[in-house]
Amino acid sequence: MTDLLRILTSGAASLAAQTAATATASHNLENAATPGYARQRVALEATLPAERVGNAYIGRGAILGTVTQARDRFLEAQLPAAYGQAARSSAGAETLEAVHALDPETPGGLGDALSGFYSALRQLSQNGSDPGLRQAAVGAARSLALAFNRTRQGLEDARTGVDAKVAGSVSEVNELARSVASLNRDIRAARAGGSGEPNDLLDARQKAVDRLAELTGASPVPTSEGDVSLFLPGGAALVTSMTASSLAAAADPANGGHLALQLSVGGAAVSAAPGGQLGGLLDARDGALREAVNGIDQLAYDLAGAVNAAHGAGVDLDGNPGLALFDPVGAAGGAAARIAVNGSISANARLLAAASAGGGAGDARNALALIATETQALSGGLDATGALAQVTSAFGASASRLAAAAEMDAALRGNLESMRESYSGVSIDEELIEMQKAQRAYQAITKVIQTSSEMFDTLLQLK
Amino acid sequence: MRVTDRMMFERAVREGGLSRGRLDEATQRAASGVRVAHPKDDPGAAGMISMEQARAERLDAIATTAGRASDELQAADGALSEVANAIARARELAVQLSSSTYSAAERVSGAKEVQGLIQSVVASLNVKVGGRYVLAGTSDGAAPFTGLTLDAFGNVDPATGAYAGDGNVRQVEIAPGLLQDASVRADVAVKGAGGGVDVLATLIALANALQANDPALAGSTLGDLARGTEQVATARGTGGAAMAGLDGAVAANQAARDDAKGRVSSLADADAIQAATDLALAARALDAALTATARSFQLTLLDKL
Repeated sequence: MTDLLRILTSGAASLAAQTAATATASHNLENAATPGYARQRVALEATLPAERVGNAYIGRGAILGTVTQARDRFLEAQLPAAYGQAARSSAGAETLEAVHALDPETPGGLGDALSGFYSALRQLSQNGSDPGLRQAAVGAARSLALAFNRTRQGLEDARTGVDAKVAGSVSEVNELARSVASLNRDIRAARAGGSGEPNDLLDARQKAVDRLAELTGASPVPTSEGDVSLFLPGGAALVTSMTASSLAAAADPANGGHLALQLSVGGAAVSAAPGGQLGGLLDARDGALREAVNGIDQLAYDLAGAVNAAHGAGVDLDGNPGLALFDPVGAAGGAAARIAVNGSISANARLLAAASAGGGAGDARNALALIATETQALSGGLDATGALAQVTSAFGASASRLAAAAEMDAALRGNLESMRESYSGVSIDEELIEMQKAQRAYQAITKVIQTSSEMFDTLLQLK
Repeated sequence: MRVTDRMMFERAVREGGLSRGRLDEATQRAASGVRVAHPKDDPGAAGMISMEQARAERLDAIATTAGRASDELQAADGALSEVANAIARARELAVQLSSSTYSAAERVSGAKEVQGLIQSVVASLNVKVGGRYVLAGTSDGAAPFTGLTLDAFGNVDPATGAYAGDGNVRQVEIAPGLLQDASVRADVAVKGAGGGVDVLATLIALANALQANDPALAGSTLGDLARGTEQVATARGTGGAAMAGLDGAVAANQAARDDAKGRVSSLADADAIQAATDLALAARALDAALTATARSFQLTLLDKL
């Protein structure tokens, strides 16, 4: 009698174990498309201790042992760095690729305007007193100034666009950092409860850590308490166990008012140099884009200086000394934004100093001197066209290098993700088989219960 | 390797996206014919493109300017040719009418003809091209030579043929940074500045000598007329040489411009055959990726259970 009751009891426990196996397969299937989800596996165990009957041990069925996650720690340790690096190069490449101010074949671009200015001066050199040619030369100078303004504005707009992206990402970073700190607390509490590993909380934390690595390049460091702390490149702590620091973006006057990032740790603000997407954006903004802006500014400054010097050495159509053709641009910084044709000359092309002192109205010797500035070595040792080509090539080289790096980093990240997915991901086929397996076992156990019940009935009918 | 469903979907997204990206790039290249649309496409070429474009425009402008200067020299040469013809006719008249066999009336008639020559020469020397007096040096806004005026006795006013231009020579660029003279100094060629013969003054002297029926004085102009002929011929020769130089510069700069444009094209433009091949290849790759993806999606245990 006691044995029959034990069979019924162990059958019920075994049914519960198979139900847990089915529930786990179901959970896996429901999360088959969830990013960062690691499949869970049920480990069924024989119930211990077995019952001793006479000289033999009779088993007492199966129970649910553990539910574990399929995680490869080696792969997962590599992924945050891969996420951060891929996001960094990708953000930089996309930022530079979106800039078209230096496209070589853009009609009306700076190269066109530069050539147009000197072509107009050449036309003028052939007939210095022609009012139409004088007007055309002044118009070409205005076009050149506007091309400088537009090109610089295009580059500066890209830098400002980066600021907007940075500001938008900062709030996401702070939210995720708080989330990791909070999950550290929850995971610690769940483990303290002794109910095994809180797999879904671990998944959620891993997902937040991955995203933070992608955004900031933060490296996760597991602690002995089972927490995960996060450190930005350079060592500043973004998350320390259950405490999250706060990232803030503030205008940096030393960088033209563009945003700089600071990390608030316990009320003190320290300069932050993130990696990941934020790092890539800042790299592009303060690297290739700033270099291009500086190059264009320097070119505008040098060219305006050279042209003004030559223009000032000549005389206008009325024999008066030449004014500065371009308004004073001040310092080199921002020169391309400020460069403009002298308003007086713009309004009156007679003031264009095409002649040399002592020449007649049709003298164009100073126009030839102005033309000579085209091949004059500027501050960098190159002439104007060479300097522009250098800026264009340097920008293109940065964009090309980042595009290649982005492709390579994306491939590396994709490879690691595939390997992690291969190990941790959910296979629908596998889970269906697991469900079938649990279902079959469940059916068999119910058969056992039914048989035991019939045996009970038989026993109870004895008279 | 264990393959999960998510891997299949992610691979489909990634590979499909890559193939579509390549197809879009190939389509853009084939449709626009542009190989370097952004500096990143070929950084070295991007810089060289702007330099070669600037070079092509520079050479084109130089060729155009040199061509116009040559046209002006052509006009100046035409004017000097008129002067040479006038001097030749004046010499004939001086030789003929300095003979004692001619009457005063015939000499007055000769004076009228010389006056006509002077008027014609001045008109020729005041030639304009593009609204500019090309024989005025750089003071080209006004006619350089004073027109013919006669006094009450029918004599030519000495102010006739006075030169109001300057002695400056215009220069044009015939190669980047290389300048060449591109005008004729009429004050030297016609007015004898720098020790030559004042051709117009000589013609005036001849006209007035004939008007005054002075055959000896008329005959005395022959020497200056002969030197004037040589002087004008020398000026024409100098102008002709300059013209040849300018014409050569036009041809050389046009050839160099075409070469620069060719270099721009070879740097910036896509090879049509290569672009079409790349496009076909990219389309085929996308088709294959989509087919493989669709087939992998069809195989699942869900349909078998």
